[in-house]
Amino acid sequence: MAGRAQIPTKNSALIAMIADEDTVVGFLLAGVGDVDLRRKRNYFIVDSKTTVKAIEDAFKDFTTREDIAIVLISQYIANMIRFRVDSYNKPVPAILEIPSKDHPYDPTQDSVLSRVRYLFSAESVASSRY
Amino acid sequence: MEQHCEQSPPRAREEEEGANSGGVEGGEEDEKILHFLDSLDSYLTLMDSLSSTLRRGWLELAGARHSMGSSRISGALLSHRVQSAATTMQVTEPNDKSETESQAHFTISKWAHMREGKCSGEVEVGGFQNKSSGSELRHRVPSNFPEGCKESYSAVNGSPIATDSNIQQERSKSLSIFGTLVPPKLRAAQVSFETALDSIVELANMRSMVLSSFAQLQQEMKSSS
Repeated sequence: MAGRAQIPTKNSALIAMIADEDTVVGFLLAGVGDVDLRRKRNYFIVDSKTTVKAIEDAFKDFTTREDIAIVLISQYIANMIRFRVDSYNKPVPAILEIPSKDHPYDPTQDSVLSRVRYLFSAESVASSRY
Repeated sequence: MEQHCEQSPPRAREEEEGANSGGVEGGEEDEKILHFLDSLDSYLTLMDSLSSTLRRGWLELAGARHSMGSSRISGALLSHRVQSAATTMQVTEPNDKSETESQAHFTISKWAHMREGKCSGEVEVGGFQNKSSGSELRHRVPSNFPEGCKESYSAVNGSPIATDSNIQQERSKSLSIFGTLVPPKLRAAQVSFETALDSIVELANMRSMVLSSFAQLQQEMKSSS
């Protein structure tokens, strides 16, 4: 345990958001909004006209940027790109699925919980016995 | 006969030793399972707390929109000018990434803004402390933040700098997107979303813990099978 010091790897990292307007506006009020010199923002507002491709591109962009520590994504939006979210397995940036105004949080759909759920399934219990 | 009774047969001794070692290993596995279940429970509890905080924030935002008008609070007003985030994160990743016991640790700095290399306002809200790493990150949590007027000091240039006025300035700057005079509901919404950020940092740390303890359990199951 001793000697395994942790090294700060990211200072002043950002929180990115892929969510509906109210959620994004709320978090921007809390001071997380950022627009860099290339006019790239750390938030992406999803409305009824937003395409799945645009959401996928935003997700890919935020998860590959070096300056982002956490990506907040409304769960109902994550469901639109579920394959991408579930296949993401890096520790940083951390992907957090959050509820939205019209869609409450459902733990059965959360990618983190579904990943660990198999530990409680009948198959895993049966296989551990033999 | 007494001598025969004093010494237990070798086979029984071996079985007893095997049972003891199996018991110790079983105990360690149970501890890992409990650790995993605890972190899972904490994750769900934090998510529940975040949900209620966000609900409050949305309600307050709706109240502000009702008093100001829908067009006064919308995404169209968000500035596309270059600006840096006033609230940022610090991420500490383990030295040896092959170790499954350590995980990334997230800390938030609210309303910190670097101007000309000097930190003009900084309040750190530490997330969950990773006990296994023994990290020594500072952990300052003002008890009545953000309503309190406690001073926090920056050690960048070695001299203490009062930061409350700067924090209020940063808050007002965020609110000014929606006009100079904003209703109390909008300020309340700002506070709610700031509180939500604390839950989000805790959730990020708990997520790391869940995945790390899950990886340990998987390794344990593979080695025992």
